[in-house]
Amino acid sequence: MTRGMTMTSTQRGGVAVRDLEPRAAATAAARRAPGRARRRRVSGGATPWVLMSPALAVLLLMTVAPAAYLIWASLRSGTLLNPASSFVGLHNYREVLTDPNVLHSLLITAAFVVVAVSVELVLGLLIAVPLASQSRSNNLAATLMLLPFAVTPAVSAMIFKELLNPNYGWVDHYMGVLGLPSQVEWLSNPGTAWVALVGLDVWQWTPFVALILMAGLQSLPHEPLEAAAIDGASTWQSFRHVTLPMLAPFLAIAVTLRTIQAVKTFDAFKIRTGGGPGDSTEIINLGVYRIALQSFRIGAASALAMVLLILLSLLVPVLLRAVGRNANPEEI
Amino acid sequence: MSAITAAGRLDGRRLATRSAGRVLLWGWLLLTMVPLVFMLATSLKPSGIAKELPPRWLFHPTLEHYRSVLTGGSGTSVGFDRLLFNSFAVTLGATLLTVGLAVPAAYALSMRTFGARKALSSWILSTYMFPPIVAVIPVFVYAGKLGLVDRYPVLIVPYAAFNLPIAVWILRSSILQIPYEIQESAMVDGASRWQVLRRIILPLLVPAIATVAILSAILSWNEFLFALSLTRSAAKTSPVGIQEFTGMYGTDWGKLTAASSVIVAPILVMTVILRRRIVSGLTFGAVK
Repeated sequence: MTRGMTMTSTQRGGVAVRDLEPRAAATAAARRAPGRARRRRVSGGATPWVLMSPALAVLLLMTVAPAAYLIWASLRSGTLLNPASSFVGLHNYREVLTDPNVLHSLLITAAFVVVAVSVELVLGLLIAVPLASQSRSNNLAATLMLLPFAVTPAVSAMIFKELLNPNYGWVDHYMGVLGLPSQVEWLSNPGTAWVALVGLDVWQWTPFVALILMAGLQSLPHEPLEAAAIDGASTWQSFRHVTLPMLAPFLAIAVTLRTIQAVKTFDAFKIRTGGGPGDSTEIINLGVYRIALQSFRIGAASALAMVLLILLSLLVPVLLRAVGRNANPEEI
Repeated sequence: MSAITAAGRLDGRRLATRSAGRVLLWGWLLLTMVPLVFMLATSLKPSGIAKELPPRWLFHPTLEHYRSVLTGGSGTSVGFDRLLFNSFAVTLGATLLTVGLAVPAAYALSMRTFGARKALSSWILSTYMFPPIVAVIPVFVYAGKLGLVDRYPVLIVPYAAFNLPIAVWILRSSILQIPYEIQESAMVDGASRWQVLRRIILPLLVPAIATVAILSAILSWNEFLFALSLTRSAAKTSPVGIQEFTGMYGTDWGKLTAASSVIVAPILVMTVILRRRIVSGLTFGAVK
């Protein structure tokens, strides 16, 4: 009996499972029925839980416990300096959700994520295509490509800030040499500050996207492309109608991970603009940071953090689908 | 005949596309190296010419800035040597904790007899979505109450938690790649789960553990938000500390770039060593 079960699981291993789903579900259902008692005998039941518990404890402590605290704190008045608080219901939520600054923060965060990730995706794809053909020079290129995203974000923010200094920064100087405007006060105007912030994100993260897509391109089968070439498809046609569709899972992985990382961005904004000029670059993370850790308005900050958490949790299924299933098709 | 000319014309166009691609690739690489070249060149320039425009490319390189920051010379409220040590201590602690928690967890999640493994794996992956800015509020409040502010554990534990999803997923998929029959036959021969883990799984898991350790080290070394919020001086890490090179009278370029190079150097080396496995790791193994 046990042996038969294992055989089934092993056969399921290795295969591209998506097509097998109905069958897999059936097997799982069949297994569930006599499962409990047998499982306990085979594995000693508690062993996996014992092995899991330290990691689970730390993860719960840093995710579920904070979320529980936020729910509690967001329903109460009071600040860090004046801890005597009372239950105020949804007052904090009403306050943050009707605050035009907060709505502005949420909007510009979304705009930043969409613009930065789109630019990185297009550039990353353009770079990945020439990078995907195997050659010695491409080995070197792939290594060099890695360097920007290894740089500590706080360091690259400082370096970019100095490079864009209007008095002695290299960027303005070389723009002048090329006959472009050379007195740009990058971080003093909302428009140019955004260009500078998106530019840094693109510099830092396009390589990550490019390397994901490069790995994707290298893993694609050759036959469909050869067939397209024999049928007389142009380079563009075979790229558009053969390569791109096959690359879709990798595009999904890149977009999903980059979106999550972009939403978490904090360092670059805090260091380079601090949300300014005015509040033109105050993304939601800076807003939460300011309200919680600088104004100490814990109730309001908790409500805002909960809003952010709820918005982000809507993306969890996307993460599980795009990343989880590709990382481990037979397990999720 | 006409088919051949058509193919030839197509090949010509394909060649043009290909060279355009190569120009783009190397153009991008050249452009993206500018900040790194700026950092390295300025760190070696004598103070007097650091901010000269046009930038001077020929100069006698000097190590004065490196000497100054590494011996804790002026520039930051906490000496840079101390900041580096703190970064190192926190990174080491977080890396050890991550690996120590992730290996047994990943092993449990690979057990076929563990009914909750799919749900738990998915949940662990989904915690990657959890934004640190949300966790920092309660940690800030309670660290204050418990007297943990400005001490290593208040950074080490959160960093380990943030590294865990990636670590567990990398390790679990490596364990799943080990043929299950090996474990099974060992258990038929009377080995316990613990012996299977120690004698069979761990030796085969060394490369994956190395990947996880290096990735955890990089992520912990680079972290900024928690370090900024929860340290004052005793445990302050270098990414937070270097901001102080910008003072009232502008930024000391020599010290900033020398300190930056020192911070970045170890991660650059580790990244180059890991190469493709770093991308695979950061995608939870979804990209091989």
